[in-house]
This record gives sequence, structure tokens and C-alpha cells, in this order.
Amino acid sequence: MADVIANVEVKAPPAGLEREPLVLNQRSLGWISDAIAGVAEGKTPRWWWIAFIPSVIAMTVMTVMIVYLLSTGVGVWGPGHPVMWGWAIINFVWWIGIGHAGTLISAILFLLRQRWRTSINRAAEAMTIFAVMCAGIFPLIHIGRIWLGWWLFPLPNQNSIWPQFRSPLMWDVFAVSTYFTVSLLFWYMGLIPDLAVMRDRAKTKIRKFAYGLFSLGWTGSNRHWSNYEKAYLILAGLSTPLVLSVHSIVSMDFSVSQLPGWHTTIFPPYFVAGAVFSGFGMVLSLLIPLRTILKLEDIITVRHVELMCKVVLATGSIVGYAYAMEFFIAWYSGNPYERYAFINRAMGPYAWGYWVMIGCNVIVPQCFWFKSIRSNMLIVFILSIFVNIGMWFERFVIVVISLHRDFLPANWGYFKPTWVDITTYMGTFGLFFTLFLLFIRFMPIIAITEVKGVTPQADPHHPLGGAKPGGHH
Amino acid sequence: MSSHSSSTSSQPAPFDLSAWRNVPTVLMVIGGIGAVAAAILDPKHAAFSYLTAYMFFLSFGLGGLILTILHHLFDAAWSVPIRRINEHLACLLPTLALLFIPILINVLMAGNDNIIYHWIVLLKEGKPDHAVTSKYPLFTVNSFVAAWVICGVVWTVLSRGLRKYSLEQDKTGSIECTRTLRRYAAVGVFLFAITLTLAAIMWMKALQHEWFSTMYGVYYFAGSTWTTLATVYLIVWLLQRQGPLREVVREKTFYFLGSLLFAFTVFYAYVTFFQYFIIWNANMPEETFFFVSREHGVWFWVSMVIIFGHFFGPFLTLLRIDVKLLPWVMIPLASWVWLMHYVDMTFNIMPVMFPEGPHVSWMDFACVAFIGGLLVKLFLKSLNAHPMFPQKDPRFAEAMDIYVPEGKLAQAVGARAAKATSGGKH
Repeated sequence: MADVIANVEVKAPPAGLEREPLVLNQRSLGWISDAIAGVAEGKTPRWWWIAFIPSVIAMTVMTVMIVYLLSTGVGVWGPGHPVMWGWAIINFVWWIGIGHAGTLISAILFLLRQRWRTSINRAAEAMTIFAVMCAGIFPLIHIGRIWLGWWLFPLPNQNSIWPQFRSPLMWDVFAVSTYFTVSLLFWYMGLIPDLAVMRDRAKTKIRKFAYGLFSLGWTGSNRHWSNYEKAYLILAGLSTPLVLSVHSIVSMDFSVSQLPGWHTTIFPPYFVAGAVFSGFGMVLSLLIPLRTILKLEDIITVRHVELMCKVVLATGSIVGYAYAMEFFIAWYSGNPYERYAFINRAMGPYAWGYWVMIGCNVIVPQCFWFKSIRSNMLIVFILSIFVNIGMWFERFVIVVISLHRDFLPANWGYFKPTWVDITTYMGTFGLFFTLFLLFIRFMPIIAITEVKGVTPQADPHHPLGGAKPGGHH
Repeated sequence: MSSHSSSTSSQPAPFDLSAWRNVPTVLMVIGGIGAVAAAILDPKHAAFSYLTAYMFFLSFGLGGLILTILHHLFDAAWSVPIRRINEHLACLLPTLALLFIPILINVLMAGNDNIIYHWIVLLKEGKPDHAVTSKYPLFTVNSFVAAWVICGVVWTVLSRGLRKYSLEQDKTGSIECTRTLRRYAAVGVFLFAITLTLAAIMWMKALQHEWFSTMYGVYYFAGSTWTTLATVYLIVWLLQRQGPLREVVREKTFYFLGSLLFAFTVFYAYVTFFQYFIIWNANMPEETFFFVSREHGVWFWVSMVIIFGHFFGPFLTLLRIDVKLLPWVMIPLASWVWLMHYVDMTFNIMPVMFPEGPHVSWMDFACVAFIGGLLVKLFLKSLNAHPMFPQKDPRFAEAMDIYVPEGKLAQAVGARAAKATSGGKH
């Protein structure tokens, strides 16, 4: 059968089709450790303080707003007849969506053997956890009487009343809390070998103790690695359905109802695609500046950014398909209420919100078809901000536009947020960036050991790697 | 991955398939005669049987097309050696478009008692209901024909174009072919989504024109790609066993195909479950009637077969990593996948004609034999007319895990085999 391949030529890919290495400039393993661990070592840089102080202030403002809300009542927010759900649910879904990229990168891309994930998974996982924390605030505070929040859990209260298990809002509680727990475990477990690196490099007693404590006595023995790899695979397997389930369940908050604009069968996959879309948008918004500030361009390369742009393009196109199907089937159904709900979206008083959504989520990602755009970091950064804006507006469109005109014109209204709505939402950015900046300052923001694993030196098939005859390695 | 990447050099001997050579022709002829007889004896039942078989086989063409498009869009390397199979499957689409003509004949020429689309009967009787008039101008006979023309033209242009430049690269090795193929794929993925949705809605969902679901196009896509992946696995395995792909297909090829099959097993279940669940939970009569009618009589048990046979069986089978490399599991599973997809199509189409339960008829077999025989014959003809795998694809070296930049593939494969036998383990 060798005849079959006798004349088949194998050539290196021509210019323009070469795959750039995942770590540029043939950096050594030692350089990788220094570059990543060095971010969390030494004197705190000025840029960090410049970012950290406003973040803490914003977080404090959020805390004050929450205290104001709890002490005064949910009337300080904008919702009222007929829009009884306002920014709280929008912000919740938006932050939860952002929290999808991390575990998707860590779990699904791991199972798909996408080696490029290694440079971005750690920061994306951290982003996931902090985003879910921001998301979790809103369902808790929107109930008004926050001290009764424990009623959400299946504990018989003093009246022996159980939660309403048939409500998708209850399913949210279980889905989000499970997702948060598994994401946290996954993130922490991946950190263990790198925390040991930090421990071994630590120069103060406090750092040695803290990193030593959290690295759980990691020595890098064969047994440790063997157990680590097995656990990583199991957690990846567990996380994968969780990534898909969380936003599917969030979508059911709307789709299991009978409300025109909400009740549509494509919501679960459309929400998942939108979540991945917004999650990658936020990863790009965070990592593009960071790679420059922290001088990590050789590890978070243009290729990584390009690949993330392609994910944004793919998921943005899926979301575009879903928008089109919603509109088409509203017309196809012949249901006048469904038709009106969608015409009202595109041409009603909130049409500006709908077209911002279409522009940011469907049209902007199409720019990523072009390599010249994907490889221009400034443009990608700006477009990624549009993605974040567009996805917030998607939830605004779903929640507010679907609600503001009820079946009877007597029940029509125009929702406006209050200053408390706006400052609470802005404050969550303070919480998010405070946590993220602390993460940058004290944790290895890139998975050191995993990045080393995708260098040519670690590849036994590569001319630069593997066992060499008569040599040591 | 190193152990998975080794070529499977100690292959068993090829099968002697000479006795099977005429089977597609025999099936096509007997099936064709049967289908014509069915159309004369019971035109309505024949048309339903034909549509079921047609939507079943359309999945192979559309699945081949999307796998080819995705290969180019993702700039994949592992699937280079099997891309030609996907291209040939996609190139069945022009024929499949022509094979829709019997349904068009049913729509245009049959008497009102024998037309399978109730909305067309209502139109011809001049008594369209609200569900029909509200879909004007899509739900007119002219639009029905136009949808067929649009789908046929798009599928023909895409599938032929994707294969044309692939074959041209075999001769020239030009990098421009790769770039052209990517442009085709970039435009093609949108056209594919639109036409597949249009076909699924106009040809299958419109059998019950009052019903609507935004998920339906995704649902048909999920089932179609699932079926095609199983088919590609089987064809690749057979071609590897027989020789043509022996040196270029590796264990990782089977592993990735198996993993994709697993992923689409779950994706299909996900889509199907949520389509059902959201409608069930909202409990609105204009939507629930579709499922209520499928919970009557024997159809209920067919739905159980789909739940357990379409999802749980393949899911549990494919859960283990190593199973994806075991032909004695995967080949029967591929056949099972065909059966389940056919049952799924039957579950969508046949309750309109037989509300109490499925009527397995010789007409069903005749239609499957006719379309299947013809398509297999065309596929084999395409396969034999061209190189079995892309000869000068720029990702070939990467697909073969070869870092040697220049040289003959045979030398590189030979060099690695020599290295392996001399104890060069990693």
C-alpha cells in the first residue's frame, strides 16, 4: 500500500499558513517561570495601584447602594408595573454569561485537546469565579428581605414550606451554586503545581508559609502528577455539562413562560452561545492590556488573541442565527402577540436598544473574518468592549422590551433605571476588578506548568524536544 | 497522544468485497421499481415513505457539506486525510436535490386526497386557514418550488466548488486553492444554515403547518451531523482496512471521529430535550399538539426508542475513551445510528399519516433501497474517480504528526516506523 503515498509530497506550510508556536522566541522553561511568577513577586507596580484604588472605591459604592437598598426597600430600583424585572436580572444574566469562558476554556478546550488554551485558562478561570460572584449578588438582593434568602435552599423553614421546585429560579440556585463550586475547585486544583513554584521561589516567611499551605505539599513527584492529571480529567468531564447546563437553565427563567419574546425553544443553545461569546469578549478585554503591561506577549501571543477572536466570531454568528430564527418564527407562528413583540423590539420605543444589540453582537464580530483586524490588538480590544456592551443589551432587550408593553395598551409603560440601579451595576465592576487585581498580584496568572507542556522542548515528536540519543533530558 | 498517533501498520487483510459490487445497483433497480409501484398503488403512503427516506438520506449530504466547511473554517489538520470522503458525501447534494422531484410531483400534480402537505390542500381548495394565510407569501406553491430551487442551487454550488478546488490542489499544490476553499467555507456556513433550516421547515415541519419551533433547524442539523459522523467513521474504517487510507489514517483520526460522534449524541439529546421541555412546560395548545399526537398509540413507544436508542445507548457506549478505537463496537454502532436516525425521521413525518402508530410497509423499504442504492453507487463512483485523500494539502504534514518539512511522505512514514522499531520510545 505504500504505492498510495509514494508520490505524496509533504511540505512545510507556506508563508501565511504557518502555525506560530504557542510560546514565541524559543523561550526557555526557566524564562517562562520567571516571566509568570515574577508578576506576583517584587514591589507592587504603580499601574496596579492606579487600577486598584478606583476599583475599591467602586466596590465600596456598590456596598453602600446595597445597604441603601436593603434598608429602604426594592422601590429604590426602577422596576414597576409593567416592567417588574429590571436591571437586577439583566446584570445577573450578563455576569453569569461572562462567567462561562473560564470553564469552557479549561474544561471543554481541554477535552478537545486545544493546546492553545494553556496561556489563557488560568486568568479566564479566575474571571469566571469573580464574575459568578458578581452575578450572585443580584438574585440575593433583589428579594428585598435578604435575611430570608436561605428559603431558596431546600431546608424546611419554620412553616414546613419547601421551595417551589417547579420554578426555574430554583433551578438557577442549584445550577449556579454547583457551577461556582466546581469552577472554584477546578481553578484551585490547577493552581496547586504553580503555587508550589511560587512557594519554592518565595523569599519571605509569610509567602513561603502561605504558598506552602495552599500548595498542599506538592513535590512534583510522578505520583503527584499522575493523581493530578486524573483529577483534572475528571473535573473537566464534570465541568463540561455544567458549563452547558448553567446558561441553559438561566434561559429557562424566560423560555418556560408563555410570554411572547420569552417563550422560544431555541433559547437554551442560544443563551449558551451568547454566554461563551460574552465570556470570550471579556477575556479579550482583560488579557489584551495585561499582556502588554506585564510583558507577556511571548506567552499570550497574537495567535492566542486571533483564536479567541474566531471563537467570538463563531458564537456571534450562532447568536445572529438565533436572533433571525426568533424573528422568523414569530412571523411564521401567525400569533399576533408574538409578531408584535418582535416588531416592537425592532421599531418600538426601545428600538435603539435592539439595534445596539444587533450591531454589537452580530455585525461587530463579523470584522473578525479579517486577519488584519484579528491581529491588531487595539482594534480587537475596542471590538471586545462592543461585545460586552452588546451582550448587556441583549438581556435588556429580552427583559425590558418584552415586558414594557403588556397584552393590553393600558398596561404599557416605559422603564427607566434609577441612579441606584446604575451605581449598583457600576459597583459590581469595582468588586470584579478588585478581585481580579488581587489575583494578578498574588497568583500566577498563567498556568506555568501547562504552558511549559506546550513548548517544543516538551514535545517528544518535535526536533527540539524529547529524548535525544545518548543525551540527558 | 503519542501512542494514539502511531500508524496502524499491522492491519488485518482486506475484505473480499467483490460479491457486494452489484448490491447498490440491485437495490436501486428493485427499490426504484418498488417505489414506482407504490406510487401507483397508494400514492399518499408512497409519498410519505419517500419523504421519510429522502430526509434520512439528505442528512448524509448536508452532514458531509458542513463537515467540509468546518474543516476549512477551523483550519483543521487531523481531518485532512478524511476530507475527501466528506467532499464526496457533500457532492451527493445535487443528486439529492433532483431526488426531491417526486415530492414536487406530489405537490403539483397529485389529487387533493393524496397530497402530503395539508396546507397545500387547503390552498388548492381555496380554504386556507389562519396558519396558512399568516405565512403568505412563504406558504404558496410557487414559494415551495422556489425553496427547492434555492436549496438545490446553493448546495450544488457549494459542494461542487469545495471539491473542485480540493481536487485542483491535488494537481497544482497551489496555496491559492486553500484560500479559495476558506472563502467558500466562510460564505458557505451562512448559506448552509439558511438552506438547511429552510429545507427542514418547508419539507418536514410544514407537514403540520400549524406547529412552530425555533429549534427545529438546529434539531435536524444535530441529527444529520450525528448520522454523517457515524457514516464517515465506517467509511474511513473500511477504506483503511481495504488499503487506500491505510498509511494516512491514524488512531487519532478514529478517536476524534468517535469523540465528535459522542459530542453530537449529547448535542442532539440536549436540543431535543429542550425543544420538548419548553413546549411541555408552557403547555400552550398551539404547540403541544405536535407532541400530544406523538404520545398516542404506538408512537409513545417509538418516542421511548428514540430516548433510549438515540441517546442513552450511544451515550453510554461512547462514554469510555477506548471504545472509540474499537471497530467491533463502533461499526455496529454506526449501523445503529442509521436506524435511529431513520426512526427519528419516521417519528417526525409518519404520525401525520398514521396517528395511531407506525405502519412498517414494503414501500418504506423500496424508497430506502432506491435512494440509498443510487447514492451509494454515485458515492463509490466519485471515490474511485479521484484520489482518496487530498494529496498536497498544506496541513498534511501536521495531520501525519511529521515535523520533517520537506520530502516524500513514504520516506517520512518509513523513517518513523524504523525509529519506532529500533526502540525509540518516548
